[in-house]
Amino acid sequence: MSRIVHYINQFFAGVGGEDSAGTPPTSRPEPVGPGRRLSQLIGPEHEVVATVFCGDDHASSDPAVIAEILEQIRAAEPDLVVAGPAFTSGRYGLACARVAAAATAAGIPVVAAMHPDNPGLDEAGGAPVVESGEVARQMGPSLDRLAAAVRRMLAGEMLTADDGRIGAVPRRSRVADHDAATRAVDLVLTRLGGDRDATEVPLPRFDRVTPAAPATDLSSATVALVTESALVPDDNPDHLESARATKWLRYSLDGRDTLASGDWRSVHGGFSTVWANEDPHRLLPLDVARQLQGEGAIGDLHPAYLVTAGNGTSVGNARRFGIEWAADLRHSEVRAAILTAT
Amino acid sequence: MTPDPGDGLTRLVHRVVEVDVGPQTRFDQGRLTVSVEAASACLADPALAEVRLSWASPGQSARIVKVLDAVEPRTKGPGGGGIFAGFVGPERVGGRGSTHVLRGAAVVAAGYLPRAQEALIEMSGPAAALSPFGATHNLVVEFTPADGAPWEDVDRALRRGVLQLATHLADAAIESPPDAEEHFPAPPPAGAGNGRRRVGAVTNLQTQGTFKDVFVYGRSFSGGLPTLIDPGELDDGAVVSGQFGHPSLKNPTFMHQNHPVVAALRARHGRDLDFAGVCISPEPVVAGHKELVSAHAARLCAAAGWDAAILTKEGGGNADADVALKMDALEDAGVTAVGLFAEMAGPDGTGPPIVVAPERATAMVSTGNYDERLVLPAVERALGGDRVALLDQPATDELALPIAVVYCALSPLGWGHLTCAPEAASETTPVTEAISQ
Repeated sequence: MSRIVHYINQFFAGVGGEDSAGTPPTSRPEPVGPGRRLSQLIGPEHEVVATVFCGDDHASSDPAVIAEILEQIRAAEPDLVVAGPAFTSGRYGLACARVAAAATAAGIPVVAAMHPDNPGLDEAGGAPVVESGEVARQMGPSLDRLAAAVRRMLAGEMLTADDGRIGAVPRRSRVADHDAATRAVDLVLTRLGGDRDATEVPLPRFDRVTPAAPATDLSSATVALVTESALVPDDNPDHLESARATKWLRYSLDGRDTLASGDWRSVHGGFSTVWANEDPHRLLPLDVARQLQGEGAIGDLHPAYLVTAGNGTSVGNARRFGIEWAADLRHSEVRAAILTAT
Repeated sequence: MTPDPGDGLTRLVHRVVEVDVGPQTRFDQGRLTVSVEAASACLADPALAEVRLSWASPGQSARIVKVLDAVEPRTKGPGGGGIFAGFVGPERVGGRGSTHVLRGAAVVAAGYLPRAQEALIEMSGPAAALSPFGATHNLVVEFTPADGAPWEDVDRALRRGVLQLATHLADAAIESPPDAEEHFPAPPPAGAGNGRRRVGAVTNLQTQGTFKDVFVYGRSFSGGLPTLIDPGELDDGAVVSGQFGHPSLKNPTFMHQNHPVVAALRARHGRDLDFAGVCISPEPVVAGHKELVSAHAARLCAAAGWDAAILTKEGGGNADADVALKMDALEDAGVTAVGLFAEMAGPDGTGPPIVVAPERATAMVSTGNYDERLVLPAVERALGGDRVALLDQPATDELALPIAVVYCALSPLGWGHLTCAPEAASETTPVTEAISQ
């Protein structure tokens, strides 16, 4: 018999609505709410041995809470974790997706359920998610689909679009029968034979970003300097990576008019940093920015710059840095930013 | 038909099964003995204060860190007989006659150089099979630069010295009967193929300045235009690497000598296709130059009567653009194109796999995901350095790293067996299990 642990929110656990959204993670040794119906649907050979629930605000506010939820899930020794269905509920979807991603990272099989429009879907990071209805009224058919997915996973099978799988399907490294060069020759012959669709790699779909409208009056605007050139204090105190960066950093420009050679260093691994290190303004034009500030051409210069290393960065991390930079600058009422790229 | 020895190249293969050090460099029935004194003399240069030589062999609990270049020992006659022209031999076109090959051995330079990214070779354990040099007997060259020597001089001295050492080792086998002879005819001219399709290889060389450069007949290929080259010239060391970035996506000299796409095309030549030859192209840093060399390469291949081309790159990120631009330019010129790409889909495999993708020529082969995570067990001995720069850990430690750090693991020239597939559709064994079997 397989052991299933079900994750739901405070509302479906019957604890309460918005007034109870701060409920901390709690575990019950039985199916609760939609878990009762799910339990019937998956049949007597599997058992929902525990339900872990958490308030929506609490679960979506802090990644540490997800670790706490995962601990409670682990304590019930699951063969499979089920999260949701979360429908289009944003915070609930986010929590389900993060629980699914955390379980996957911990090596615990998991399946979540939510509507394809749920903003939390991207956070699942490739963990299996199946489609649910938009609203709780569609609980019945949503649980039917989820139960079918649960049975498939417990049978050791992977979920596909036929099971209602949504979200990103991870691409995994595999060992092929032949080396890549031999496969390339095979692919050439296939292509010459008239098959125009054969490929091992699907064409990627990239976001199209619409640039913001130009800032109209810079003389009253606060302007920020941001860069992916990996320019950091000379001792690289926060250990910014030279490639495949996982973080970005903020350093103060307060009281500085120039960046002296020797005090600053680019740790970027993708280009020769010799000339940049001779004159760090080649990467971060603080000298010119101060001059413009003095002339009144810009209202103010943001007192810190934001930096990461743009070298082999995964798109996921790059997107996260962008979102966090925008939020950070907005919070500081910065109206325009100069991004120096290398 | 007996091949005309004047046409093409014959490899005289000597298999190295055992290695040792001794008073004299010699090769006898598979046993390669190296004289440390004679080998060190190959590396004598004012820019190098000291060199240290040691063997690292398959199965040993050993790891090589800070790997720079790897070279297969080869010679065409005493003193090299013209091998590695422009470095060891005079600047003369090679690729004909016969070449002695010490198969199963490599000379590996390891140590710090500016701009070099941390690169590892495991001699045992789960990641040994990910690098071609986990299966070769490696004569590792470690070095101490001379006081005050410019890094550019250290780089030059090391490159020339390693090539001379590779020649010195192969010279020891000249009198031995080869274990095998491999003959490769020169590519036939257009129209000679009895209707078979003419397929060639377009090989991009990462030419981005000192420490990220590739040399052709001894000269930097930076600033050059694409050119056709006889595949036998690659065998004879016309292309030499001085490129130390992106370890898993790097093409060391060894891989040019043993170009996997060339090998795959030679294997099918005269049966499924006619091998039309090799076009080498620089990988410049400026977008306009990438467009120029791409259009130029496509025109060359079309003029040479190619029906199809297999494109390869070196390095990550911007190097994808060089392959994508050439693939589209070739398709526009009526030449079918297939490109080899490593994927950069993030640790969870959900990101876009390629940085710049072709638009019209969409046939791509995957050499695996750059961000795949590995755990390498602790080892008894490390060569090349005491610490792993990337993690600031002792080099003998257990290491948790992306596959991007394993030397040639995602070989853009197509050496490896890795690929990527959507999780649900795959029926083969996951890489982390398969490589440890």
